[in-house]
Amino acid sequence: MPTLTIDGREITVEPGCNLIEAARRLGIEVPHYCYHPALTVVGQCRLCMVELEGQGKLQIGCYTRAADGMVVHTRTPKVLETRQAIMEFHLINHPLDCPVCDQSGECWLQIYYMQHGLYEPRMVEDKVRKPKAVPLGPHVILDAERCILCSRCTRFCDEVTGTGELGIFNRGDRSEIGLFPGKVLDNPYSGNVVDICPVGALTDRDFRFRVRVWYLDRTRSVCPGCSRGCNIEIHTNTRRPHQSKGARVARLKPRFNAEVNRWWLCDEGRYGHGFIDAPDRLLDPQLREDGYRPRRWEETLPVLAERLRGYRPEECGALLSPRLPNEELYLARRLFVDTLGWHSDFRVPPRAPGYEDDFLIRADKNPNTRGAELIGLGPGPDRLDTAGMLEAARTGRLRCLWVFGHDLLDSGLPAAEVQAALEALDCLVFQGTNANRTSRLAHLVLPSATYAEKEGTFTNFEGRIQRFWRAVPPLGQSLPDGEILVRVARALGQEWGSRSSEELFRELAGAVPAFAGLTYRELGEQGRLAAVEAALQ
Amino acid sequence: MRGAGRVAFSPETLARARELMAAYPAPRAALLPVLRLAQEEFGWISPELEEHVAGLFGLTPAHVHEVVTFYHLLHQKPVGRHVLSVCHTLSCWLMGAEGIIAYLKERLGIEEGETTPDGRVTLLRAECLCACELAPMMEVDDDYVGPLTRERIDEVLERLD
Amino acid sequence: MPPRERLLTRSFELPDSHRLETSRRSGGYEALRKALGMAPAAITEEVRRANLRGLGGAGFGTGMKWGFVPKVTGGKPVYLVVNADEGEPGTFKDRYLLERDPHLVLEGMAITGFAVGARRAFVYIRGEYVRPYRILAGAIEEAARANLLGPNILGSGFDFEITLHRGAGAYICGEETGLLESLEGKKGWPRLKPPFPAVVGAFGCPTVINNVETLALVPRIIARGAEWFAGLGTGTQGGTRIYSVSGHVRRPGPYELPVSATLRELIEEAGGVRDGHRLKAVVPGGSSAAILTAEEIDCTLDVDGLKAAGSMAGSAGVMVMDETTCIVEALYVVARFYAHESCGQCTPCRESTGWIYRVVGRILQGKGRPEDPDQILDIARKGLGTTICAFYDGAVGPYLSYIEKFRPEFDHHIRTGGCDVQPGRVPVLTGH
Repeated sequence: MPTLTIDGREITVEPGCNLIEAARRLGIEVPHYCYHPALTVVGQCRLCMVELEGQGKLQIGCYTRAADGMVVHTRTPKVLETRQAIMEFHLINHPLDCPVCDQSGECWLQIYYMQHGLYEPRMVEDKVRKPKAVPLGPHVILDAERCILCSRCTRFCDEVTGTGELGIFNRGDRSEIGLFPGKVLDNPYSGNVVDICPVGALTDRDFRFRVRVWYLDRTRSVCPGCSRGCNIEIHTNTRRPHQSKGARVARLKPRFNAEVNRWWLCDEGRYGHGFIDAPDRLLDPQLREDGYRPRRWEETLPVLAERLRGYRPEECGALLSPRLPNEELYLARRLFVDTLGWHSDFRVPPRAPGYEDDFLIRADKNPNTRGAELIGLGPGPDRLDTAGMLEAARTGRLRCLWVFGHDLLDSGLPAAEVQAALEALDCLVFQGTNANRTSRLAHLVLPSATYAEKEGTFTNFEGRIQRFWRAVPPLGQSLPDGEILVRVARALGQEWGSRSSEELFRELAGAVPAFAGLTYRELGEQGRLAAVEAALQ
Repeated sequence: MRGAGRVAFSPETLARARELMAAYPAPRAALLPVLRLAQEEFGWISPELEEHVAGLFGLTPAHVHEVVTFYHLLHQKPVGRHVLSVCHTLSCWLMGAEGIIAYLKERLGIEEGETTPDGRVTLLRAECLCACELAPMMEVDDDYVGPLTRERIDEVLERLD
Repeated sequence: MPPRERLLTRSFELPDSHRLETSRRSGGYEALRKALGMAPAAITEEVRRANLRGLGGAGFGTGMKWGFVPKVTGGKPVYLVVNADEGEPGTFKDRYLLERDPHLVLEGMAITGFAVGARRAFVYIRGEYVRPYRILAGAIEEAARANLLGPNILGSGFDFEITLHRGAGAYICGEETGLLESLEGKKGWPRLKPPFPAVVGAFGCPTVINNVETLALVPRIIARGAEWFAGLGTGTQGGTRIYSVSGHVRRPGPYELPVSATLRELIEEAGGVRDGHRLKAVVPGGSSAAILTAEEIDCTLDVDGLKAAGSMAGSAGVMVMDETTCIVEALYVVARFYAHESCGQCTPCRESTGWIYRVVGRILQGKGRPEDPDQILDIARKGLGTTICAFYDGAVGPYLSYIEKFRPEFDHHIRTGGCDVQPGRVPVLTGH
């Protein structure tokens, strides 16, 4: 374990640790472009040069491994002068696009220029011209003039996705990032090149010209797109609503988690946030009997309670959702299973098997299937499963079905049978975020909040329990599912108080063995494995 | 889809390519020799040809394209039956290369980088060909010719079919 | 004055000098026979004591370089790679060796292979060298048929197989690790070092890379011994080398002299400056070497002598310029070369070679600004030592020396928009 000194401070690191990483652990930033911990080291940008005692020439930090007794200086006059020169070299052909470039505000040429540049510009020659605004695929657009040829994107496509679409063509300052003529950058992780591009050469088509990044708020969350549970950040714009046409969620970005998704996020997850601000969001409680006009909760819940009192438990079923967080599933179990004694299940087969790969994407397109399993919302000896409930509905034995979010008419269940079942029901309650064919058949529609509008935890396929936080308030009158259940319970005469997600989680941890010993504090920002899984590790 | 114009090596070239790939410790080392073969057979290296070669080597077309665009002798567009590469670096420049290039442009009626309309000659500028003792000089297909004078140039052009 | 030793060029004027028969008559392959009876380590030691230094450009001790090959390679073969990607402007010596005495080169290769434990060699020959390639290929065939190459050479048990590999037009493939990348079928982007090729070279294996001419001297060293070879030169570099002389001299061509000769002697050997003209400047070691003025030609031509003179022995490409030469335009031509040949991999070289080329072009157009020459010097100095390989160091040689030694010419162009060396001359600008 080498011990070295950086800027007068000592640190011991593991063998093989490079100087950028070692310095980072001391809180010392060594500026760099081409280096990325997930990719092979190429030493191309030359910005990370540092001074090593005993060596006349400066050395690049990314490629130099810490050695015992090494003495490193990151801010000598020679280093600072060299950094300034390297910044100048990076900028001489760079177009003055800042006013129209999406990267502005999070651009590493801007950031490092302000920290390490600040020289009088003196390049008066014509700059090299290259293609601009070239769509590379469905999600990524290239501006080759802005590119600083750090090769992070080409290395990503070679080393991480193995798809090799991008190359650096030509020689010298005519070098250019590009695709083979006629090819498309459409691997399932193409959006990641936008994250790792330090400048505005590769940008999101989805985010293009939407909103300036300094207006964005950032909230830690977990992607609900599949059972992997990639850690994300939700970036929201609530300060400039006139931009981005009122959509509050501007974009999603991956959040580093060494155990789950590392630095990456799949395109489907990354660009799958549209439903949060879509026009088909359910905003108000509605009753079919009065033409689905917008109603208030206070005038709707008594109607619901009244209707429910007319049914026996075995005539009722709850079709929960593996998209609900652990806290709300726990409340659902307390209400539907423990208190009301209804049938319950949470599984609806998808129309087609979900795409899965050996990287991040999982076939199960739900974030909390494992949570639902662990909390015990599956069918039991006296409780019908989904198919059973629908069969019972068709034959009139089941009179009330409470569906959480699913579109049963867009699933792997035979549509005609589903249609018949739903139409036969006396009381179809739909509780969800967006309208669909099932909601349009419901007698009662209860609008719920999306994952971005509440906090809670999901349990991924490995049993990792991860927290997500609230990014924006619920739209319209929608409420978090848990809050709706509390109000329903009260309307049914139960004395349930509103509890915070954290309090609910504590209760859950006490009631479900898999969650034993865990608290929000324990989970932190990177999650923890559930007890039963942890025991298997 | 490329349709009827799909490009592929002749059986002889393919056999030679496979020989070359087997001759090196790693098959990829044969890429430059195989691209040269491709250029000898087709005259220039089109994107279709790059894709074909990529398939042979198990590389993505982008990586073959990187190699083709890097090297000066690999032509990405058709060239004439004869290629004249005139050196314009230091010693040749000292000995009048610019005058030679101007004369060639005049005689051939084309600019550097272009091919005569009849497809006979492509005129290129080249960096040092390492025949400085023959300055000013040029490479005519496979041969180094120099020192060049107007007369010598006339002779060379005469001989080209 | 003792008769000049001709180690490299002695067969050049013989008819059919490239044939095995001719080579044999001059003692060809006798040194190989002798070497095969020596211990490999002894050969390396001999070469080291001979003070043979690399003649491709870097001037590194050849014996020392061979010594870097690990004794234990974990089952990996050792390769010999011959750098025949001659590309340094002003240089043509390797071309002459390949065309006129390929067997000397092959013999040197075989002895070297035996010394370092390489049973396989790759000759990377620049793509534009067609005739030399054909001649070399023919020579290899001849030698193989005579059991001087290939399996079990002369019954020694030593196998040596040679693969000819043609380049495709990129100067940077003359840089050792750029060459290896190109050999492996990629762009010629030089590698980060360490590891050095002796440890990780071609195909991940220990590799010795040597220039054509360096290898051609090895048989001579084995034939007549290290002391003799070392004694021909200076205290730090032994032997002779071929100087490629071109430009404004009466008799451009290859000239073999001991490395202890002076630049003045060499120019005289080539007939001196052409009739009616006088010497203005000389580039003594390929375009990457700092230019020397007419007053600076009394230095010796060895690696350390030229270094002491503020320049470089490099590839020994000697370009002579007389008083008709506009140094500003000369810098333009050279800057264009480096801008075209920069591989583009690392930022300082990629960006500043293009930048400087454009600044010099602007000066030549008559639109120079007073601060331009100092700006070029500043850019060059700031990039020095920051790049992946020495290509940029080579570019900086002319950038700094042409301006430092001929500053008044640059100032004149900037002040008046025209040239005082060749008034009225309209330079040809080729754009980017």
